[in-house]
Amino acid sequence: MALLDVKGLNISFSGYGQTRQVLHDVSFSVGKSERVALIGETGSGKSVTAKAILGTLPGNASVDSGAIAFDGLDLFRQSMAEREKLKGTAFSIIMQDPLSSFNPVFRIGQHLDDVMYHADRRRGVVSSARERKARILDTLRKVQLADAQRVYDAWPFELSGGMRQRVLIALALLHRPRMLIADEPGTALDVTTQDEILRLINRLVDDEGLSLLMITHNLGVVRQTADRVLVMRHGVIVEQGPLAQVFDAPQDQYTRDLMAAVPPLYGPGVTDQPVSDMPPILTLTGVQKVYSKRGLFKTGEGHLAVDDINIKVAHGEIFGLAGESGSGKTTVARMMMGLLEPTKGKIAVNGTPATGARRLSQIVYQNPGTSLNPKRTVAQTLAVPLAHTEAAADRQARMEELLTLVRLPVSFLSKYPHELSGGQKQRVAIARALAAKPRLIILDEPTSALDVSVQKTVIDLLLELRESLGLTYVIISHDLSLMRNFCSRIAIMLKGRIVEQGTPAEVFAETRHPYTRALISAIPVLTEAEQAQKPTVTEEERAKFLVPTGAEVSAPAGAAE
Amino acid sequence: MTAAWMGWYRFSRNPAAIIGALIVLSVLVMAAFAPLITPFPEHVGSVVDFRNRHAPPSSTNWMGTDKAGRDIFTRTIFGFRVSLMLVFGVLVISVPVGAVLGMCAGYFGGWAEKIITGFTNVMLAMPPLVMALAIGNVLEPTLVNAMFAITLLWWTWHARLVYRVTVSVAGEDFIEAARLAGAGPVHILFREILPNCIAVISVKTTLDAAFVILFGATLSFLGFGVKPPTPDLGSMVADGRQFLPEKWWEVLAPGFAVFYATLGFNLLGDGLRDMFDVEA
Repeated sequence: MALLDVKGLNISFSGYGQTRQVLHDVSFSVGKSERVALIGETGSGKSVTAKAILGTLPGNASVDSGAIAFDGLDLFRQSMAEREKLKGTAFSIIMQDPLSSFNPVFRIGQHLDDVMYHADRRRGVVSSARERKARILDTLRKVQLADAQRVYDAWPFELSGGMRQRVLIALALLHRPRMLIADEPGTALDVTTQDEILRLINRLVDDEGLSLLMITHNLGVVRQTADRVLVMRHGVIVEQGPLAQVFDAPQDQYTRDLMAAVPPLYGPGVTDQPVSDMPPILTLTGVQKVYSKRGLFKTGEGHLAVDDINIKVAHGEIFGLAGESGSGKTTVARMMMGLLEPTKGKIAVNGTPATGARRLSQIVYQNPGTSLNPKRTVAQTLAVPLAHTEAAADRQARMEELLTLVRLPVSFLSKYPHELSGGQKQRVAIARALAAKPRLIILDEPTSALDVSVQKTVIDLLLELRESLGLTYVIISHDLSLMRNFCSRIAIMLKGRIVEQGTPAEVFAETRHPYTRALISAIPVLTEAEQAQKPTVTEEERAKFLVPTGAEVSAPAGAAE
Repeated sequence: MTAAWMGWYRFSRNPAAIIGALIVLSVLVMAAFAPLITPFPEHVGSVVDFRNRHAPPSSTNWMGTDKAGRDIFTRTIFGFRVSLMLVFGVLVISVPVGAVLGMCAGYFGGWAEKIITGFTNVMLAMPPLVMALAIGNVLEPTLVNAMFAITLLWWTWHARLVYRVTVSVAGEDFIEAARLAGAGPVHILFREILPNCIAVISVKTTLDAAFVILFGATLSFLGFGVKPPTPDLGSMVADGRQFLPEKWWEVLAPGFAVFYATLGFNLLGDGLRDMFDVEA
């Protein structure tokens, strides 16, 4: 018999006088020691499913029909108190965002002890503070936090993102649950850290014989952590089956689209962008940036953000700047835009702005939610750059032309950002950048806030626009599989320096620097064939270039920003 | 579902907010049509009817008459006019001034920020009542001068509020994007930042209206009146106070009127705060 059995679950939300059904007849089961992945994009209902199991649905949600049985126990028939008792012991959840899941004014040990104390009381167990601490330290060691005592005494800000994610896993493990529910674990972290976290979860599931319900939108993660796969869309499970079956021969069109939207790392599907042989539009020579400390009491020198950057961006190419958070890629991009002055070195621009344009370059930001003013319509947003590039009489026509260019209906001119989806907002942001007639566009993680399927359409649009308008792109991203297919040349940054530079084909085939190898090998891929082609990293290199695995309490995670 | 519709949905299902809105509306209507709805509009002028002085509430004089025999109900309704004029006078100057200074301090930073926030903090340290009394003594002790004093201090609250909102908005990508698109500081302040401040400003302004009504009544109670015989709520309470407790009706109507208008604006302000979902 399955450990968890969800049958015909229908859930609807009501709000603002309307009722909307978010889960439609959802049925699935998770067996003992089985790993099941629930895949879906934003709004597919995957988190609602997890909340229904945990019993943490918000007040405006109602379970219309269906049942959830855990080990034969019908959850919806239990009293509140009985359901509370199940939390942590029957199943627990690994929370998604390690950076905001801790109260900054309490030590890590306090967070863990609070949970343990109340869970013990709910179960009627009397425990002493000392005995609880021993159990907590044990659990911390289990999640590979070697110096458990120091982590116990640390403040949340003293731990890196990866370490905090480990503590969150420890929090879920405190009461030896029989099933773990992981809601997008590690998505907020760098790819190398995420990789470590996934290995850890896998090992724990194996060692302790747990069942795992992995909720994610990342198909690569699924391949690593699931035996069986459920694909969810608009609250309906459109496909389910063993991992190999779903991944090798997806039956549903939606699954096939999802798979096709993931950029391949190796193999025949990989695209090589042509390398430009035009003269450079932007040349950075020996660029260094030091952020000096400001304030009344200046102490010592500032923080060295980037050093010795040498980049040539040719006309018409797509130059990728890859690196993890804190690597200095954003600082380089801002210096390219002229938003920051380099401390040392030279940035030479060989190009003239188009007639009427005020600048050579424009930027498309990572998060379209914050890069469009929520109080201004699309037309008002586009009017700002057009005030400089077009005569008043031509502006309306140009706005319509721009929206057509980014494949949006002209009627969107009168819409406000909150009426648009993430992908549509990003298209408006691209239209705004185009309106200023740039020759160079800096793309700051242009797709990382979007769903996979939307990502692909935005990337295709960008490629088309480059072709038809003769643009040059500089893209900064941590997503190497995207950059493999999108860039004509890439540079890998580590701690403010460029460690490797070349065409993606070269860099991926002949990785010179161990950090690049570590980065590439951490990328979740879709097929075994790709997995086999990834470079391997020795434990020694991993220790040298990757985030500390938790052996020591490191400097505050934000310090490198 | 548009944001405006969702806001209205929250507002319309909030009984307190609806009551507040109705009260404010009724005060505005009563003030506007005072000559039409009051029984003795001429009692606002210098009418003396000593035979009928200190008359208790009756079917002719619903709220009784005062020491000069004038109808209290009539004078109370007309008293709203003075209160609302004060609200308008104080807020029409201090809200825009405060908003512009707050936006400038928040957006430009540097010296502009240091000077404006420093000056704001100094002004905030002055008790408005003391300031009003001081100005009243230097100039003439009229309500207009007292409100001038309040206006001098009142912009500081808006400057602070708008400053705080501006600092958080100014860090958003869309401000930088507008700058890169060629927008100048005037465009950014008034077209990009100001629309994001409107919600907090309107909530704060509504709550301010309640405070100004109360404060105006306090000052006129203390003797900063409008020129007699024009009725205003604070001096009516001050006049009637001499005849307490026997002639209780002389303070009841103007006192209740202050309470009614203040409550209305406060409820409406809280309702708007929920509707816009802002801190103000």
